[in-house]
Amino acid sequence: MNKKQKNITELICAVVSILTFLILWHIGVKGELGRLMPGPLPVIRMFFATLFGGTIGSRTMIIHILYSLIRVMAGYFLGAAVGVVLGLSMGWSRLVEAVFSPLFRIIRPIPPIAWIPISIIWIGLGEDAKIFLIFLASFCYVTLNAWSGAKNVDPDYLRAARMLGAGKRQLLFTIVLPASIPSIFAGLQVALSSCWATVLAAEMVRSSEGLGWIIIAGMNNNDMVQIMTGILAIGLVGMLLSMIFRKVEARLCQWNKSGS
Amino acid sequence: MMIKFLKKYKYLLISLASVAVVLLVWYLLIDVMKMTKSSVFPGLEKTFRTFIAKLTQKKPDGATLGQHLLESLKVCLLGYSIGAVLGIPLGIAMAWNKWCDWLIRPVFDLIRPVPGLAWTPMFILIFGIGIEAKAMVIFVNSFVACIVNTYTGIRQTDELHLWVGDVFGASSWQKLTKIAIPTALPMIFTGLRTALGGSWMALVAAEMLAASKGLGFMIQQARYISRPDLVIVGMLMIGIVGLVLDIILQKIETMVAKGMNAQ
Repeated sequence: MNKKQKNITELICAVVSILTFLILWHIGVKGELGRLMPGPLPVIRMFFATLFGGTIGSRTMIIHILYSLIRVMAGYFLGAAVGVVLGLSMGWSRLVEAVFSPLFRIIRPIPPIAWIPISIIWIGLGEDAKIFLIFLASFCYVTLNAWSGAKNVDPDYLRAARMLGAGKRQLLFTIVLPASIPSIFAGLQVALSSCWATVLAAEMVRSSEGLGWIIIAGMNNNDMVQIMTGILAIGLVGMLLSMIFRKVEARLCQWNKSGS
Repeated sequence: MMIKFLKKYKYLLISLASVAVVLLVWYLLIDVMKMTKSSVFPGLEKTFRTFIAKLTQKKPDGATLGQHLLESLKVCLLGYSIGAVLGIPLGIAMAWNKWCDWLIRPVFDLIRPVPGLAWTPMFILIFGIGIEAKAMVIFVNSFVACIVNTYTGIRQTDELHLWVGDVFGASSWQKLTKIAIPTALPMIFTGLRTALGGSWMALVAAEMLAASKGLGFMIQQARYISRPDLVIVGMLMIGIVGLVLDIILQKIETMVAKGMNAQ
């Protein structure tokens, strides 16, 4: 089998498998199960109908997606910025590490979702509380990876630079920072998917718009089609986010071929 | 002598001091100066008292801390182990057999980007708010993580090692069990650990939405009645249990995959 033939077989298999899945789903919900589960057609129809035109709740699907995305982006970039700075300085200076690492170790194992009740008590039900949660979700992963990245810089590089007379500043910016970028990017990627899960949880617990709201409102109204439409949108956006991230990473870290 | 001691443990002492300062500031601001109401930010002393009391008391949410913990652990481990038991073989099959790969992966790629806890509302509608819905959410979570990591692990097998197997006349089954699976073990364990962390998180979320027992339920109830001290006790408990579960898996990994992590 040459390469082209192989690709074609693979494509045919993919089409066959997805079609089989949809047909099984379609037939499966014909009988008794149909009262609980909608078939694939109503879900896809509702997804396209609400994308720009019709509304779920009081907004179209696109607006709901934007609400969730804006929350994720605000918290994500904030957390990433603080995390990179803190992580690098923890890896760079033993004093900073000694001060912050015990506190960080206490906070890190608590999943961001477990902060939801306390953030509502402290900050309230508005946007700030959700951004705070997403901040935590991205902050923990990014700090951890930046920290270990900066700690694991090959000591030979550092010695070589010192021998050539590099100052502390040069050491940090020309050696430690670039050497920890791959690790930081790995952290950023995990953080992005964790943020995406966290925003859903935060919206499920309390909000009046966004993708998490769509599925929880669907549950409260016993509207399975709406839940599945929401899940479809969540999956699509999640996939897009990680695709964009991989493209950005490939662009910014061209030298790092070992990743992926 | 003293100076030598100080030098040796300088950073440990700074670490201890840092924790102590945070606790002290907390104590001074809330317990002594009463900066905020205790219904917003509880004092250190009150939080500690709540923890001790909650070990034996059922008020205000109908179960002691230990009962909540057991309930959460039971659901989490049930869904997690089913997911791992089904996910790892499927991941191996997908990575080893190209027909499995081509036929299953497209469907799997459809489901994979949905975070596990997004299934919660759907499963609650189908299964009700009992143990089944939560176990299903956790099952999906660990199933996906196990498949992804097992698949990548097996795929990373060095072609050269497989060729060596071919040269010595190993059957496909021998190549799989003697070469590919041992190579993939560290990755499989990474998957198991990611899955456990994710499961624990998804469980807390599911319990906050619909449950009548469990740590997630406890902190959500504590919020409704404005008891931040109880919320903090629950949060720390969730964090500690997650950490302990992870450490146990790490120990198992060093026992099972001895010497395979060296790169």
